[in-house]
Amino acid sequence: MTHPESSRRLRTSLRIIQVIIALVFVLFLGRLVQLTVFEYDTYNPISERNSIRRETVNPSRGLIYDRNGVLLVENTPIFSIYVTPTDFDRSNIPLLASLMETSEENIQDALQQAQNFSWHRPSRLFSEVEFDVFSRIEENIWRLPGITHQIESKRVYPANVKAAHVLGYLREVSDADFRTTNIYRLGDKAGRTGIERTYESYLRGETGVQLRRVNAFGQGIGNYSEGILDLAPVKGANLEVTLDADLQRIAEQLMVGKTGGLVALDPNNGEILALVSSPDFDIARMSGRVDPEYLAYVTSDSTRPMFNRAIATRQPPGSTFKPIMGLLGLRTGLITPETTIFCNGGYVRGRLYRCTAIHGNQDLEEAIMNSCNTYFFHMMNRVANTIGLNEWHRLIREMGLGRINGIDIPSEQAGILPDSTQMDRIFGVRQWGLGDQINLGVGQGVVSATPLQMALSTAEIANGGYWVQPHLVRAIHYDSGETEFANPGRQRIEWIRDEDLEPVRAGMRRAVTEGSGRFYANLASVPTAGKTGTAQNPHGRDHGWFIAYAPYDNPQIAVAVIIENGGFGSVSAAPVASLLIEQYMNGEILRSNLFDMMLNFVPRDSDIER
Amino acid sequence: MNKTWYKEFDWLTILIWMSITAFGLAGIYSATLGPVSQFLPAHIQDNFARQLTWVTLSVIVIVFIQFTSPRSFQQLAYLIYAIALLLTVSTLFFGVEVNGARSWLQLGGVRFQTSEIMKIATVLAVANYLTSRRNIEAVNLKSAIIATFMILMPVIIIMLQNDTGSALIFIPLIPVMLFLSGLPYGIALFMISPAIIGYLSIIDWQYGVIATLVLTVVIYLLQKRPWLGLTSLVFGLLLVVSVNFALTEILQPHQQNRIEAFVNPFQDPQGAGWNIIQAKTAISSGGIYGKGFMQGTQTQLRFLPEQWTDFIFCVIAEDFGLVGGSLAIMAMLLLLMRQLSNAVSIKTPFAQLVIVGVVTILFTHILVNLGSAMGVVPVIGVPLPFVSYGGSSFLSNSIMLAVCLNLHFRQREMSLFA
Repeated sequence: MTHPESSRRLRTSLRIIQVIIALVFVLFLGRLVQLTVFEYDTYNPISERNSIRRETVNPSRGLIYDRNGVLLVENTPIFSIYVTPTDFDRSNIPLLASLMETSEENIQDALQQAQNFSWHRPSRLFSEVEFDVFSRIEENIWRLPGITHQIESKRVYPANVKAAHVLGYLREVSDADFRTTNIYRLGDKAGRTGIERTYESYLRGETGVQLRRVNAFGQGIGNYSEGILDLAPVKGANLEVTLDADLQRIAEQLMVGKTGGLVALDPNNGEILALVSSPDFDIARMSGRVDPEYLAYVTSDSTRPMFNRAIATRQPPGSTFKPIMGLLGLRTGLITPETTIFCNGGYVRGRLYRCTAIHGNQDLEEAIMNSCNTYFFHMMNRVANTIGLNEWHRLIREMGLGRINGIDIPSEQAGILPDSTQMDRIFGVRQWGLGDQINLGVGQGVVSATPLQMALSTAEIANGGYWVQPHLVRAIHYDSGETEFANPGRQRIEWIRDEDLEPVRAGMRRAVTEGSGRFYANLASVPTAGKTGTAQNPHGRDHGWFIAYAPYDNPQIAVAVIIENGGFGSVSAAPVASLLIEQYMNGEILRSNLFDMMLNFVPRDSDIER
Repeated sequence: MNKTWYKEFDWLTILIWMSITAFGLAGIYSATLGPVSQFLPAHIQDNFARQLTWVTLSVIVIVFIQFTSPRSFQQLAYLIYAIALLLTVSTLFFGVEVNGARSWLQLGGVRFQTSEIMKIATVLAVANYLTSRRNIEAVNLKSAIIATFMILMPVIIIMLQNDTGSALIFIPLIPVMLFLSGLPYGIALFMISPAIIGYLSIIDWQYGVIATLVLTVVIYLLQKRPWLGLTSLVFGLLLVVSVNFALTEILQPHQQNRIEAFVNPFQDPQGAGWNIIQAKTAISSGGIYGKGFMQGTQTQLRFLPEQWTDFIFCVIAEDFGLVGGSLAIMAMLLLLMRQLSNAVSIKTPFAQLVIVGVVTILFTHILVNLGSAMGVVPVIGVPLPFVSYGGSSFLSNSIMLAVCLNLHFRQREMSLFA
């Protein structure tokens, strides 16, 4: 062991080991230099990404006011409790239950649901909790790992106006929206219907960004750089809508229990003053936490509460079509104001087309007043034989029938105003004849319109022949203080002549004072012009129509009402329309007994007119 | 004791030991009592205080050991080995399970990792065996096998404790101890070649083939024996093939993931690669000067796994940067170099073997720990000597160092009787 050769060899071995160790350490030092100097730019961003989280800050959604500044839609904070199941300690269930003032079973059920969704992502445990419950949770949050709390927002409707089909409601963005746009985060809400949908991009505002320092568990631990890099959210724009809250409320009350729709608009500029579809639904109940049963009712009940009848139901306009026919006849020279036609209780052309009575000699004014079918059957016969159906279609289409008028809420329908192509499509090529056209003269057969279209055509008669763009938003007030006013289209309908309007208006005036409208629509306070209508319904009781405008000399409001299965327009739709005019022109209901009666309106099977 | 004993004592080693310990304490403080403490349970926050206690205890033990005769290590080597083996085996039955490994023995209020005692015990016993009798050196095949068996005993028992990391630490003792006691260079190289070839094969099989060829040539040049060269070549190539076969066929999916995560952590950055990426990120983002004491975001925001034990070097590098990290590495290098230099100066083979054994164990710890942290070897959880939190590890490492100091300090007493 001790001989020199052996000890020399041992020393050499030790040196070799020293060299190997030194080499390895040099490699480690080199690796350290590589990491800290050369790969710094690779890894330092990971370190920063790790510790900084971009949180989006939702802007508060724009408010909605009516034309008089009445607040219709605002936001209210709702308080939600979230749980991340993997971080939650089940032994805290009793504590949580006592803070939430609920049973432990409830907590367990909610926790189970959250676990089913995800163990690692926060799920809503309870939404819309009371504020005092929320603040109790907030005080004790340190005792409850895995529990977080969040203030969210929901829409509330302070004005006691439903306007469900106008305002619309919000829902969580669909998967498709979420993927196709980069605006939303999963769970964000966006307008699904109505104005909330059409004006979504204005109401939404711009999301802000907040940089927060976080730890590996994603727990926020304060602002980054005192928030200098944060981006404040931009509040959504406030909308000023054209609705009159009082008128809308009265209209909604009048339509309760009835099926139908109504549109009231300002004939001078197309501003919608009231728009109701019935049955409707309660948008307040569609906001925030939605009762699934209610959602099922709204979306799939056979009465179709979601269906906006005011702009989408397509019904034959019946006699309310006659003023339009009168204008057309005068313009095309088929009649003059003085032309009289003898009504013998019907019109025979191949077969008998019935009138409601034997009216005797009728000029245009009287024919409108008495709603004489014979006059208009006769005229439609001449239309078919002279200018033809296509010219008839072209002229009336300019008034807004048979086409979309572009109101600023979704799901508007065009109705049907047939031309020969369409007739070919409906009946088969050349399978239709005069008999299928004569009916059109009294708004029956293959012609249909929405309440919006009928209100619009009434407005055109009232305003001297101008098509006005129907619209619901008159101004957008941005958070920056700027205001953008709606610039609705207004277009002279070339073929309507002022002198032709006179006898039509006079007929409509007399329909209210002497004709079928005299019972309910002849207002003492405001001179009103109008026309009743009854649309034949092969499936049940007829639909009642009424169109009207007022005041007669200086029109401020035009209304169209349809009560489906309401029987005659004079007793179903006319009272509703006239009460709206009364409310709008006087600011109050004067005939409160009629109002009360209409709240409990039940259609009767009487036969006053046809 | 000699009047000028303080001149004989290796103060430099004590100084280096103190500085490495200081790095460790700073790292533990930052990792458990920095802003991160708000996310840590109370018992973890006590780690720093506990470590201080163990450091104090270790100082007392180091001083105490200097008063013992170096000859007693040799005399008591087998006894210590036997007691340590007994303790380790009993841990297998009566031990406390922590993190899946049954490697802790609870005595009163103190838990002790028995594999830690086993290290110094094995080193002493093997050194004693290889040097106690004349002509018993490793060139003698029988004594080489017995020495190997003495080292493999604890390896097997600790493996059974399910503490693979600690067990692996003993393996390098085999070639190093045998090499020191006369094993020819070529054969020693042949013995460590599987580690090199295996490691490179994991990264890329082509590297494994190249390493096999180079090592074969070197081994042949050292020994000039064709059969050894041929064996080396065949064995190396077989290893490359079997490593690749094991990687794809034999290993459990979670083990495959760990290897895959080492080779390419960004394959699964949220899963298997997470630890490696976060550890490298911590070191790298410290930059040259570091983020400052208790300012490292990776540490303080709890992105680092095991940040007061296995990944403590990341904490130091993140807080103190390249400067602090390389100082710590150089201190450790200096500590090992100093012991080896001391071994050269000592004339007693037993002392030399013990020192080399201790250095080998410390070096293996450092190699695996720093390699894991810097992403150059697959992650294996072993502590960094004198730096990682852990009482029994700190104490046993200190005892090993104290024995080295003693053998150097009182070397004359050994040689007198040698």
